[in-house]
Amino acid sequence: MSTSTIRTAQAEVDRPAARPGAAVTIRGAEKVFSLGRGRTLQALAEVDLEIAEGEFVAIIGPSGCGKSTVLRLAAGLDTPTNGAIEVFGDDPHRLAKQHRLGVAFQEHALLPWASVRANIALPFQVAGRRVDKARVDELIQLVGLVGFEDARPKQLSGGMRQRASIARALALSPDLLLLDEPFGALDAVTRRRMNAELARIWGEEKITTILVTHDVDEALILADRVVVMTGRPGRIRKIAKVDFPRPRGFETTRSPEFHDLVDELTALLDQVEGVDD
Amino acid sequence: MTRALSFLRGLVHLWPVVLVFVAWDAWVVLNGYTSTVAPRPFPVVTDVVIGFGEYLPYISYTLGVALVGLLGGTLVGFAAAVVVWSSAALAGVVTPAALIIRSVPITALIPIIARIVGYGDPAVLTSTVLICFFPAFVFTLSGLAAIPASGHDLFRVLGGNKLQVLARLGVLYAVPNLMVSVRITAPTAVLAAMLAEFLMGAHGLGALFSESRSYMDMERAWGVALVATTVSVFVFLGARALENRVVARVT
Amino acid sequence: MTAAARPGTAALFGIGGALLVVVAAQLVGQFQLAGRAWPPLTDVLAYVTTPAGSGLLLRNGLVTLTAAAQGLLLGVVVAVFGAALALVVPMLRPGFERFAAILNAFPTIALAPLLITTAGREDTPMVIAALSVGFVMFVTMTSGFANVPAAHSDVLTVLGSSRVQRLVRLELPRAVPSFFDGLTLSAPAAILGATIGEWFGAPKGLGLLLVSAMQNYQMPLLWSAALVATALSLAAYIVFVQFQRIAVRRFG
Ligand SMILES: Nc1ncnc2c1ncn2[C@@H]1O[C@H](COP(=O)(O)OP(=O)(O)OP(=O)(O)O)[C@@H](O)[C@H]1O
Ligand SMILES: [Mg+2]
Repeated sequence: MSTSTIRTAQAEVDRPAARPGAAVTIRGAEKVFSLGRGRTLQALAEVDLEIAEGEFVAIIGPSGCGKSTVLRLAAGLDTPTNGAIEVFGDDPHRLAKQHRLGVAFQEHALLPWASVRANIALPFQVAGRRVDKARVDELIQLVGLVGFEDARPKQLSGGMRQRASIARALALSPDLLLLDEPFGALDAVTRRRMNAELARIWGEEKITTILVTHDVDEALILADRVVVMTGRPGRIRKIAKVDFPRPRGFETTRSPEFHDLVDELTALLDQVEGVDD
Repeated sequence: MTRALSFLRGLVHLWPVVLVFVAWDAWVVLNGYTSTVAPRPFPVVTDVVIGFGEYLPYISYTLGVALVGLLGGTLVGFAAAVVVWSSAALAGVVTPAALIIRSVPITALIPIIARIVGYGDPAVLTSTVLICFFPAFVFTLSGLAAIPASGHDLFRVLGGNKLQVLARLGVLYAVPNLMVSVRITAPTAVLAAMLAEFLMGAHGLGALFSESRSYMDMERAWGVALVATTVSVFVFLGARALENRVVARVT
Repeated sequence: MTAAARPGTAALFGIGGALLVVVAAQLVGQFQLAGRAWPPLTDVLAYVTTPAGSGLLLRNGLVTLTAAAQGLLLGVVVAVFGAALALVVPMLRPGFERFAAILNAFPTIALAPLLITTAGREDTPMVIAALSVGFVMFVTMTSGFANVPAAHSDVLTVLGSSRVQRLVRLELPRAVPSFFDGLTLSAPAAILGATIGEWFGAPKGLGLLLVSAMQNYQMPLLWSAALVATALSLAAYIVFVQFQRIAVRRFG
C-alpha cells in the first residue's frame, strides 16, 4: 500500500503532470497478476502513456504482451498494482458510471439470449435512457448487419459478432472508445471497409479512441500515434507519430512513406518477438 | 490458532440456524402455546441432552439402517449397472425402466414393500436399500456410457476386452458418478429409514417419533426432529467428504 | 451402447423395457410369486376402471396435485428470491448457503410436529412440498447466478450498470436454464413432499390413500394409488424437461 503511494508520488515528480486536454493519463502503471499458490505474473512494467482528448491511439505488440491489460486498466475493470491511471482527470470507473465509455471486447461478449438489436440497445437501457430506435438502426446499417437485426449471436459468424459488438460500443456516442482487436475475425476486404467506417465516425465525432490491433496497416490507417509494446512484462518500446493526411485512402496506403513506416514498425515487432522468445 | 479462528468464523455463518431457534421460541411464546401443543426450544434441547441415553438406541438403529441401506443399495446398484452395461441391448431395455421405477415416490414404495416383505424390520431395511439402489444404478450407468469411443478404440487396438475397459476406464468414469449418487442419496436414506420406521417399525427415530406423538410427549417428539436433523446433516457431510476423497483419488 | 445411441433404436429399446416391466409385474402377480401383496396388474387396472375406484383416485390425486403445485410455486418463489438476495447482498451468502445445505439434509418428516400445529393438517402437505422444492431451487439458482461469464460481467461494468440492472439484464436471464434444471428436480420433490405431508393425518390425498389402503389390505387400491403418484411425478418431470429444452435453446 505504502509503496504504491510513494511510487505514485514519485511519478508525479518525475513525469510531466497531466496536461489539461489529456483524456487518458497512464503513469508508471504496473500490473502483477496473482496466479495462486503464491505465484505471480507481471503483465505490465512501468507503462507511461498520455492520450489527448480527441486523439486516436493504436497499440500493437506481440500476443500476451499486455495490450488488453492496458485497455482494462483504462476501462476501470482492473486497477494497476502500482502507478496511476486517470481518465478525464478522474478515476477510470467514474466514466463508466456516467455512461460515457464504449468498449468492444476482444471476445465480443454479446448477451447470447438477446438479438442483435437488443444487444445494441443494451447501453441505452443500462443508462436508463429511452432506446433511440433510429440510432440503433443507423448503427446496424453502419456495421452492415441489416437483415440480421433479430438474429441471436450464435446465429452470426465470428466477424458479424464483432461488428455487433462495435455497434454496441458506439451506441451512446461515448467520450472514450476502447477497441480490443475489433476486426480480428474479419476478412481483409470487410476489414478495410470497417476501417474506413471507423475513420469516418472518428472524423465526425472525434471520440478519443484506443485501438488494440495486430495489423500494422490498420494502425497506420486509423491512428494519430502508434504505440509498440514489448512482451512480458509489457513495456512501451516506441511511440510512432503518424501524420499522413486524412482521409487516408489508397493514395496514402500506396505511398512510399506509408510503406517505410509499415516496414519500420513491422521490423520492430519482429525484434520484439525475437526478444520474447 | 488460525484454524480455531476460521472455525469460529464458520460458526458465525450459522446465524440462520440461531434465527430459526429464536423464531421458534418467539412463535411459541407469542401464541401462548402450552407445551403439549408446541414446546419451547430450551426444554426440547434439555430433553435431548439429559435423555440422550434414551435416544441413543433409536439413533443407532436409524443410523445403522440408513448406512446399511446406503452401502447395500449403492453396491447392488453399481453391480447391476455393470452387468447391464456389458450388453448394449440389455442397457437399452433396462435403463428407461429404471428411470420410471426411480420416479416412484418413496411414500408409495414403502407401503407396498411393507405388505410384500412383511410389516417390520425387514421392510424398513428393504425400503432403504431399494431407495438407494436406483440412483446408484442410473448414475453408474450414465458414467459408464460417458466412456468416450476413443477409450473403447484404444483398448480394442491394444487387444483388451470389456473387463479391462471396465477396470481401467470404467472406474475413472463411473466412480465419480457413483459418489455423486451417494452424496445425493445419503439424506434420502435417513429420510426413507425414518418414514419406514414411522409407518411400521418398532425401532428407530421414526418409531420413537410416532410413539411420543401418540403419548402427546411433545418435547420428545420435537427432540426427535432435532436429533434426526442432526443425524441426517452428519450423514450428508460424511458422504460429501467421502465423495471428495474418492474423487480426488480416482481422477 | 452404440446401438442404443441411435434415437429410433433407443426408443424401441425403451418401449421394450417398459413392456418388459409391465409383463413381469403381471406375471409376478398372476403366479403370486411375491405373495398376496402383489396383485396382477390386470386386477389393479380393473379396479382403476371401476367408477368408485376412478372417482376415489381422481379426487385424491387432484388434492395431492394441488398441494404439490402450490408447494412448488411457493418454494420456487421463496428460493429464487432468497438466491437473488444472497447474490445482491454478498454478506448473507455464506449463512444462506450453509442453511440450505442443512435444509437439504433435513428429513422432512421431522417437520411434521411443527407443521401440524402451525399450518394445520390441511396445509402441511403443501408446506412440506414447498420446503422440499425450496432447497433444490436455492442450490440450482445459486450456482446459476454464480456462473456468469466474466466477459459479460465486464460489459455491464463498462456500461456503468447498477447492481439491480446487473441482476435484471445479466444474472436473471443467465440463470434461466438453471431455473428449469431446478424445476425438473423440484417436480418429483413436490409430489413426494405433498404425500409425506399427507401421511401425517391429512384428511385427503394420495398419501392418506396409500397409508389407509396399506393398513386395510386393499391391495388394488394401494397399487393404483402408487401408480397414480408415480404417474404424477413422472408427468411433472417430463413436462418440465420439455420446458428445460426450450430454455436451453433460448437462453443457453
Ligand atoms: N486475469 C488474469 N490473471 C492472470 N494472468 C493474466 C490475467 N489477464 C491477463 N493475464 C496475463 O497477462 C499477460 C498479458 O495479457 P493480455 O491479455 O493483456 O495480453 P494481450 O497483449 O492482449 O494478448 P493478445 O494479443 O493475445 O490478446 C498474459 O501473459 C496473460 O497471461
Ligand atoms: Mg488481448
